[in-house]
Amino acid sequence: MSAPSSQRAHGRALLAELGVHLLVLLAVVFALYPVLWVVALALSPGDAPEPRVLPFASHPSLEHFAAVLGVGAGSEAGGGWLFGRQLLNSVLVSASTAIVAVALATPAAYALARFDFVGAKEGERALLATQMFPGVAASIPLYLILDALGLLDTRTGLVLVYATTAVPFAIFQLRGAFAAIPKDLEEAAMVDGATRFGAFLRVVLPVVRPALAVTALFAFMTAWNEFVLAATFLSREETFTLPVVLQRYVGEYDARWGRFAAGAILVSLPVMGLFYALQRNLVRGLSAGGVKG
Amino acid sequence: MTGSVRRLAALSGLAALSLFAQLSVFSGDGAPVAKAQDARRTVRVWHAYDEAEARALREVVRDFERSPEGQPYRLEVLHVAFGAYAAKLESAIPTGEGPDVFIDAHERIVTYVERHLVQPFGALSGRERFDFDAAHLEALTVGRALYGLPLALKCGALYVNDALLPNDPATLEELEALRAHLPVGTYPLVFEAESAYWDAGLLHAYGGRLLDSSGRYAFFGPAAERTLAHLRRLVDTAVVPAEASGDLVKKLFAGGRAATAIGGPWLAPDLPRSLHWHVAPLPSVRAASGAPLVPYVTIEAALIATRAREIEGARAFARFLAGPKGAAVRARVARQIVASRTAALDPELVRDPFLSAFRRSAEHGLPLPTNPRMRSTFEPAQRAIRNYLRGGRSARDVLEQGERRFDDLVRPLPAERSPAPALLVVSLGLLLAVAVAVRRARDPHFRLAVKRSLPAYAYVTHAVIAVGLLVIAPLAVGAATSLFAGAPGNLHYVGLANYVDVLTARGGALLGTGSFWLVLLVTILWTAVNVALHLLLGVGLALLLDRPTLRFRGIYRVLLVLPWAVPSYVTALAWKGMFHRQFGAVNAMLSALGGEPISWFARWSTAFAANVATNVWLGFPFMMVVTLGALAAIPQDLYEAAEVDGATAWQRFRLVTWPLLAPSLGPAIAMGAVWTFNMFNVVFLVSGGEPDGTTDILVSEAYRWAFTRSQQVGYAAAYAVLIFGVLWIGTRALGRATAPDAAGTKS
Amino acid sequence: MASLTLSQIEKTLGTTPILRGIDLDVTDGELVVLVGPSGCGKSTLLRTIAGLELPDRGTVKIGERDVTHLAPRERDVAMVFQSYALYPHLSVRENLAFGLRLRGETSEAISARIADVAQSLGLEKLLERLPKQLSGGQRQRVAMGRAIARRPSLFLFDEPLSNLDAALRGEVRVEIKKLHAKLGATMVYVTHDQVEAMTLADKLVVLRAGRVEQIGPPLEVYKHPASRFVASFLGTPGMGFLPARAGGGRVKAEGVDVALPDGLAAHEGDVVLGVRPHDVRLLPNKTKGALQLTVDVVEAMGFEAYAHGHIGGKPFVARLEGDAQTGVRPGDVVGLDVEADGVHLFDPKSEVALTAPPARTKGAA
Repeated sequence: MSAPSSQRAHGRALLAELGVHLLVLLAVVFALYPVLWVVALALSPGDAPEPRVLPFASHPSLEHFAAVLGVGAGSEAGGGWLFGRQLLNSVLVSASTAIVAVALATPAAYALARFDFVGAKEGERALLATQMFPGVAASIPLYLILDALGLLDTRTGLVLVYATTAVPFAIFQLRGAFAAIPKDLEEAAMVDGATRFGAFLRVVLPVVRPALAVTALFAFMTAWNEFVLAATFLSREETFTLPVVLQRYVGEYDARWGRFAAGAILVSLPVMGLFYALQRNLVRGLSAGGVKG
Repeated sequence: MTGSVRRLAALSGLAALSLFAQLSVFSGDGAPVAKAQDARRTVRVWHAYDEAEARALREVVRDFERSPEGQPYRLEVLHVAFGAYAAKLESAIPTGEGPDVFIDAHERIVTYVERHLVQPFGALSGRERFDFDAAHLEALTVGRALYGLPLALKCGALYVNDALLPNDPATLEELEALRAHLPVGTYPLVFEAESAYWDAGLLHAYGGRLLDSSGRYAFFGPAAERTLAHLRRLVDTAVVPAEASGDLVKKLFAGGRAATAIGGPWLAPDLPRSLHWHVAPLPSVRAASGAPLVPYVTIEAALIATRAREIEGARAFARFLAGPKGAAVRARVARQIVASRTAALDPELVRDPFLSAFRRSAEHGLPLPTNPRMRSTFEPAQRAIRNYLRGGRSARDVLEQGERRFDDLVRPLPAERSPAPALLVVSLGLLLAVAVAVRRARDPHFRLAVKRSLPAYAYVTHAVIAVGLLVIAPLAVGAATSLFAGAPGNLHYVGLANYVDVLTARGGALLGTGSFWLVLLVTILWTAVNVALHLLLGVGLALLLDRPTLRFRGIYRVLLVLPWAVPSYVTALAWKGMFHRQFGAVNAMLSALGGEPISWFARWSTAFAANVATNVWLGFPFMMVVTLGALAAIPQDLYEAAEVDGATAWQRFRLVTWPLLAPSLGPAIAMGAVWTFNMFNVVFLVSGGEPDGTTDILVSEAYRWAFTRSQQVGYAAAYAVLIFGVLWIGTRALGRATAPDAAGTKS
Repeated sequence: MASLTLSQIEKTLGTTPILRGIDLDVTDGELVVLVGPSGCGKSTLLRTIAGLELPDRGTVKIGERDVTHLAPRERDVAMVFQSYALYPHLSVRENLAFGLRLRGETSEAISARIADVAQSLGLEKLLERLPKQLSGGQRQRVAMGRAIARRPSLFLFDEPLSNLDAALRGEVRVEIKKLHAKLGATMVYVTHDQVEAMTLADKLVVLRAGRVEQIGPPLEVYKHPASRFVASFLGTPGMGFLPARAGGGRVKAEGVDVALPDGLAAHEGDVVLGVRPHDVRLLPNKTKGALQLTVDVVEAMGFEAYAHGHIGGKPFVARLEGDAQTGVRPGDVVGLDVEADGVHLFDPKSEVALTAPPARTKGAA
């Protein structure tokens, strides 16, 4: 091959690369722009609205953040430690939700992927149905059930509610992951001396770890951002989760969107961190789920 | 009935619980420990106050606990988010888990009485009678019983920016004249011109009403037409900004961009210290023969809940909170316009210009009617106003439409029917099910199959119990309420009447605005467009990011999933702000590019597009990540083979990538379609159904029936069941049309 | 080590019978190969021995133990899977140790055993790698190592070589043969490859549609196939089958006139004559022979050649030895002689091999 033509090919590849970066950057701008508006809203206590293109606060101030964190003027008494406590609640509730949801969904998804049993098809349909049914009229019955179980106003009850809501999607997700694992692996383990459950624990679960991580992340997010059920079921400040507290900035007559935005940013920081930490798993976990969904 | 249900529920929940008990990582869920050591009796107080008011309440509570009458009591105060307040009261009070005292607005009392959520307060002493305004007590009386003590008044008044306007305006027309003297972008007056609540002030000045004294819709006729014409003039001449939300009003005034603003006392805490302002009475309207603007007044009251456990304590605290001592604290700390006359006569308060201006405004105001139908007037009235201000329709036309809409919303509840036919059908169904079960149980093949299934059941039982109890049971109960009508707590059986009403569009045109069928069409279009764009963007970006040679892939990937990580209720609001006609970033971009600004929510197509843009933004990361995952599973050598075969990039995608991708995307698409179909947040928060409810989808319509209209829970449940039916049939049909394993339904 | 006894194993999946009454005895230290086309039930049979499938009827005994209803882990068998089934999350060392650990061996014993196995299979340098970092051949060896390390009473192989390329396959085949000699272990080996079957087996079991078609030492089965099916399954190129009529000590058809050897001379009536390509001799100068082959194609291999053609309309292949091939061209009609022990007769209906008249009546019954 002559030098000039190879150079031209190289140039074309570089141009293509540049084009890809340009397209992706465009998408990044699209993805970031509204988020930056939220940030601008949180940083601009006194700004008058202007028809602006660039989402930056003209007089940035941390006033809203300080108020939400309970450190500055205008914050509620009891602020700082309460925010910490409620952050802890959110973390505990969301993490427990993730654990319980995965614990509930994993064996069930495995059974659906591996066993042929009476009621499997019906069960799967029922799971799908739960995703289709808007819960408009379901919150009062749920309240009564929790009351009957003595779980009202407990984080345990809230975790159970969140976890079960997350279970159907988790089962779909994990069933795909399990179906993608060759049966030989479990059989080899069983021949090697494991029980069926032992093979599931020692071989299958470690192999689907990325999918488990992603499923747990989804369940975590369901709990992390939810406030209506939390506010309905919890009746003591010290058990509140963060979104419940945040939502108090939206009152009957007036909404303090700046505080709300500041709070929302604070609330979503840990989730972003989780996303970043799990981004590799995110792709792999979904791929296992996607292959034979 | 409830007893046996509870036992059953408790029993079947045990298994799930025992599992959870092992996993539970935190303690302290039990009853507060302090209770045991404290001899005082506990009084529970619930409220949905804002920051300053909550602070004032805490101070009053402290004072009460130290006072002689409060000595025996310990108060437990719960600050509930307003968005969950009603639902929480409705759920908690009937089960005895509710508060003893709660704070709420007077206009909801009748509804609460109907639902047995509040109990009469009892007789007042003569001194107390004297402390409160008779009109305020009257507003809190239903039948002959007084249900609460008035705490504070909420109404609008005129905020004046001292720098822009040296003298208080006497008339609205003076403010209109100010237009010529203010720079562009600064307004003589800001208020929510498209809100029926705020426009009522002008309507009242012209002698009109939203609801007349006998509970009939009254927003029509000459007074209403003149109100609309005046509003239009205010907006068209830019005396008042268009599409102003409460937040925009606050920001414009706080930013010194408005000479005056009409708003409630809650506007004040957010105004910067650098701004010089004061509050004045509302101006009068020369065009209405000099009558003043008459704002609605809400009387906030302390109410005693039914099933209160500590009634005496509850009353004692309500008296203390409403009385002069509590009122003084509330006025001082939260700058409330307190109802207690003794407190209000305190010289210091009288001298306070803010409080006295609001007090005068409230004295001239009109208490919001307590009739529950009042709630149903806002939506039709608001739509009439918006249709008039944004579209080119005649006043009479929009007002007539509003009237019809009101009749539609307060539709008479279907008559009670005997549940006998339903019970017959249910028992026949049960009998049939039992018969089938018995026959199958006798079938040896089936028995063998069940026997072989036993090991599998060990894996699924706990999930079945948990999901059955906490997901399926509440949904089933919810679905069953579709056979009832009335407000929660006051339901009666109506058979299939709700369904008949929904499917016949309540007797209106089958494809008329708000009819089930039209909304269904919009919903289907909404789902199709969104899913298609999610796919296009998600798959496209995934293909770009999947190039192994691409630099910064990790960073790109994280940035692109950001929309997923930030809570959607706040980003949806950011999007709504971006589509604002005057201050939105989208229009700013358009004008920077030389285009005309668009009133996004005035036309169906643009409002729909705004919703779609928001939802695509929210949803594409999921599709992208799923696609990335699926791409990772496609062996690289397939591409190389195709490339060797001379396939172009597009051919490679169409012939190699897509066929391998499609089956694994199937479940994600199906899920995405179901979620989009029921994507309530975006529609409700961005367009809010505008213009005129035409961008509402089935779920947001169901939500309105359940919560913002006359709380017809049964009717909303019928919507929910129909939504479920549509999705069920739709996904199954799609599943059949595409490859059997592609739709994820596997049925 | 132990013997294996299967009796009357039956298995039905849904309504399809997979195994229809299988009897098999494997003596201690024997290497038995189960062979047959796909779908014949050989894998199911192996999995039944392993305990991964439960038979509907019949018993499985390992040694003197009835293991029919025991779980796989209680049977003391090891299995090498076609896919190798290496645990992807475990290193080679952990893969080898997996079964030992589950059986509660001490860690010293485990490392000793691993060192031993790794040394004999040449895996020493791979012990810390993950399966995905190994080549196909290496994976295969790890899979075998995992079985060997366990020292089970019975080894099961499920088509262990089918994922390897041809050259490697031959190599590993020899290795397995050596291994069997060294360990003296009882092995059951499933394959559809007749070369593996012939070369490895002490005893060959040919399965067809869930039944045992023939059992015997490989050469015995090759030389005396019990049925047309077995005859066609073993040997490349395959045996030619020519419908013919027997009578008077000869068997005749168009282009066929073969004298029957002593044992078969008594047969009369319609038969199918079976002749392997290797059992014919080319007659020089177009002499009329026992078979008249019309040649279509000649495949020259250097040291021998195959003449593909037909006899009386039926396809037939003849092996041509040495330089005799040079004279044969497509279109030629050549005469072939058949070796006396190369004549096989089959019943045209039951397809059972005809040996002596009593066998015929048995086949008809």
